[in-house]
Amino acid sequence: MAKQYALSDDSVVVVIGSGAGGGTVSNELAQKGIDVVCLEAGSRLTLADVENDPPSMDAKMGWHDKRIGAFLWVCKTVGGTTMRWSGVTPRLQEHEVRALTTYGQIDAGTTLIDWPLALGELAPYYDKAELKMGVSGTHGIPLSDENNNYKVFNAGANLAGYKQITSGRMAINPVALDGRPGCQQIGFCNAGCAIGAKWSTLYTEIPKADLTGHFELRANSMAVRINHDKTGKITGVVYQGESGELHEQKARAVCVAGNVVETTRILLNSDSALFPQGLANSSGQVGRNYMRHTFGAAIAVMPQPVNVHRGARQTGILFDEQIHDPGRGFAGGYQLQAHGFDPLTTSNIIGGWGSEHTQFLDNYTKLAGLFITGEDPPEADNRISLHPNERDANGLPVPVIEYRNHANTNAMRDHAIAASQRIYESLGAKHFWGGDAPVGCHNMGVARMSADPKDGVTNRWGQAHDVPNLFVSDGSVFSSSGAGNPTLTIVALAIRQADHIAERMSQKMLY
Amino acid sequence: MDVSRISRRRFILTAVAASSVVAAPRSWLPGSIARADTPADPVLIRLTRLLFPHPGLRDDVYADVADILFTSYANNAATGQLLDAAGFALDEQADGDWFDADEDSQIEALRNIEGEAFFAAILAGLRGTFYYHPKVWTHLDYPGSSKEHGGYKHRGFNDINWLPEVK
Repeated sequence: MAKQYALSDDSVVVVIGSGAGGGTVSNELAQKGIDVVCLEAGSRLTLADVENDPPSMDAKMGWHDKRIGAFLWVCKTVGGTTMRWSGVTPRLQEHEVRALTTYGQIDAGTTLIDWPLALGELAPYYDKAELKMGVSGTHGIPLSDENNNYKVFNAGANLAGYKQITSGRMAINPVALDGRPGCQQIGFCNAGCAIGAKWSTLYTEIPKADLTGHFELRANSMAVRINHDKTGKITGVVYQGESGELHEQKARAVCVAGNVVETTRILLNSDSALFPQGLANSSGQVGRNYMRHTFGAAIAVMPQPVNVHRGARQTGILFDEQIHDPGRGFAGGYQLQAHGFDPLTTSNIIGGWGSEHTQFLDNYTKLAGLFITGEDPPEADNRISLHPNERDANGLPVPVIEYRNHANTNAMRDHAIAASQRIYESLGAKHFWGGDAPVGCHNMGVARMSADPKDGVTNRWGQAHDVPNLFVSDGSVFSSSGAGNPTLTIVALAIRQADHIAERMSQKMLY
Repeated sequence: MDVSRISRRRFILTAVAASSVVAAPRSWLPGSIARADTPADPVLIRLTRLLFPHPGLRDDVYADVADILFTSYANNAATGQLLDAAGFALDEQADGDWFDADEDSQIEALRNIEGEAFFAAILAGLRGTFYYHPKVWTHLDYPGSSKEHGGYKHRGFNDINWLPEVK
């Protein structure tokens, strides 16, 4: 069962964060007999805490510490943003991991690079991740059930001439799997799955790691600084306990997986005489190349009832546009993903007021909806940094998040909105709304993997170029964004990274 | 006018809260502040209806929403200032008392101030209260929480029957 390690025990790997990256790398290491202490800033909920009530769940598990700039829809809780995600799990595609080679450098502002690993190298880890997460429509697992909103999406897309549409690639159990039940079509996936049908590390990786006897989860433990010795070797992590008291957990190696803002903050906040620009930041790339996808939404009033609130929030991916076709006027591609919205979310997405707004809400039962997610190019000035003097309630420098859409992103979004309009109007939609949806749930790039240490922060294993026993294990390592939801790739990379760490340790090459 | 209706009512509400005459007054109207059964303030009901105009949705639902938001806003100095700013700006736009203007002029006044930060803040607060209110959900035929009913697995999640056949 769950172990307890002494603060002075320097044989442990400290993992910062317990979400898709941190929860997975923790469990994978513990399964190999490597001792792990996982520091999680948030508290540990149970399924009994999950209510079909988004605002109260946001209060329980959302990240509310002070931040300046663009909003990120992320979680501070055991399980991290896997508590809130929708479960969509597409793979990266060949043209996406070779972004610079395929697209060329789009303009002087973009900082595209290729991934320093081939897609084929990731493929076996995608298989492992899909089996771990129970991804529907893969490895003999059934497709997800087709809900009403999917059926509208699929019918409209077919009429609009699209072919590659699936109800699979969801990490929500279509049937009972891995000790968890099949989906009961409750909805409210983004407020936490009340029955645990949706994969979340809270009730998969974390309890499995607990059972190994090689793992300790410390909830309510906010990592604030990573310490090193005079040679630059990482020696421990300083964290704040529940009442603000500081501790240092000694460490053999550290995996940082706090999602992009916290990963950036802890690296920059760990500056020292040896690392004056922040830890692992000799390139100056920590916090830069922040990507969050071309993100939009479409909502249509259909001629007859859809009842979009019934069932899983998201089921249905259209892949036809996830190609690189410069004839469309932009580099990279996008996916359309059927997505249902509750009234408040509908109102928030459409925005505005007056009758142009209420003509949608007045037809709530007839609404159909989708999300647009597409590749956005990295830019040096889309970045996360620390405010020079403002401090939050914990005394930490307040993160500043700067992000603006590239022209490529706007062109892609407009193309995707036009495609969405054709889909719904082919079925006689009465009103259509399409636009930006700056949700901030797909967060990538601030410690990206690069072949050349000048271009990024980590190497092909997510290991810091500057610091051998420091790893980054979340979406921060993405070299480019691809079009699809990042979680499956985060999990595949975390499994691969754990294999690498174990191998290096067995070769005595990692202290 | 120097002080908008909204500001006057906010002042009264704040004073009432401070003197603990009533815990949660239903109305900001002078003279009726202590009576919990009086209707909510007509200016705020009007404002809420013009922002989210749902034909057929009764005034008492708008009153409930307006009460929730404006009571919480009025009792906090920072959000109270947002209300003061909105009241002043609307009256200024209407060249008098915004509430007495005709509907088109009221909407035009709102359009003219929609770029202001205070307007955005009030709209966001009102939106969060309005579309989270059970009476509004009932009006929209949105049932809310489903886990206690076993979700929709056996309650129509895939019952759509008007779509064309897909190959």
